[in-house]
Amino acid sequence: MDISKLKNISDRSFHIALAKKNALEKAESSMLLAYSGHLFKADAETINLVQTLKGRLQKFVILDSNNNPMMIEDADNFLDKLIAKQQEALNVYHQAYSDSIKKV
Amino acid sequence: MTGVLLYCFNTEFYRYDKIAAKTIPLLKKNLKLPITLVTNMETFKCLPPLGHVNYKLIEHETGNQINNKPWHNLDRHRAYSLSPYDKTILLDIDYFCFSDHLLTLADTDQDFMVHEKVHDVTGNDSYRFSRSSMIPMVWATVIIFKKSKRAQAIFDMVKYIKERYSYFCDLYRIGFRNFRNDYAFAIALHQLGGFKGYETIPARLPTLPGSAIVKEITDTSITWTHEGRTVTISDNDLHVIDKGIQNV
Repeated sequence: MDISKLKNISDRSFHIALAKKNALEKAESSMLLAYSGHLFKADAETINLVQTLKGRLQKFVILDSNNNPMMIEDADNFLDKLIAKQQEALNVYHQAYSDSIKKV
Repeated sequence: MTGVLLYCFNTEFYRYDKIAAKTIPLLKKNLKLPITLVTNMETFKCLPPLGHVNYKLIEHETGNQINNKPWHNLDRHRAYSLSPYDKTILLDIDYFCFSDHLLTLADTDQDFMVHEKVHDVTGNDSYRFSRSSMIPMVWATVIIFKKSKRAQAIFDMVKYIKERYSYFCDLYRIGFRNFRNDYAFAIALHQLGGFKGYETIPARLPTLPGSAIVKEITDTSITWTHEGRTVTISDNDLHVIDKGIQNV
């Protein structure tokens, strides 16, 4: 393979990696959920924590993104919002990921 | 009521009115919040019609520089009194708002929030300031505050620091000797936080460094060249350092 083709592969890899990095960063930001005056990251850890606590407790306290405590009174509502936010962010990421590989 | 507050002062080198003409329509489209633009008469006369925008004309303070060029950034501490809103999203004029992400950040009970971390969209991780001072710098590009005693105290502290900036530079060994709001707010938050930390925006500020040259701006995206490569980012808020955007 000649050097120009190798350079093209390198350039393509750069664009894919950068597009992926930026899309992932956007997804991370988009996972922020404002709930009753607090900010939470709707990531797998938060969702799993809420799901676990919900199975054992009627109401419970969790920490927001700045480590402030909040009493969760309606766990089902909170979990629904977390999942919706996370999936919204990841669907956008999934689309961007697919597009970046196809286009570049 | 929540609203957006912006500052815009032209200099002999940069036409910030031209940047405002690009960023304000994006803010209107994506946030749908009232906007107040703090400016001076000279800049106001250059601004194109921007629809419903509340203008506050002030006599801005002069004397600061960056790269040996005038830098009119000395009035940021007045934002608390200049803002007509209960909750304010205070933005740099070169913040391109391509999403409603800021609405989520504003929908909290926090008195005051800024970014502590930045995301360099060129992938170069350009911003490493850990050795530039004794305290972490914050990014005053996006400040979300509500009218409260704590927020007022922070802005008052920034004013105090501004008037004694060289002293605080020595105290915290800040390498950047010209007045910079990023450091002034970092110091204010550090001091008023009892030297024990403060709350921040739990996300990184997407930033395009000055070494990238913006080539195109659309309603949804920005395209730039950097180190010989052309890249586009879409539907993602972006703080653009390249002042050449005034001519794009």
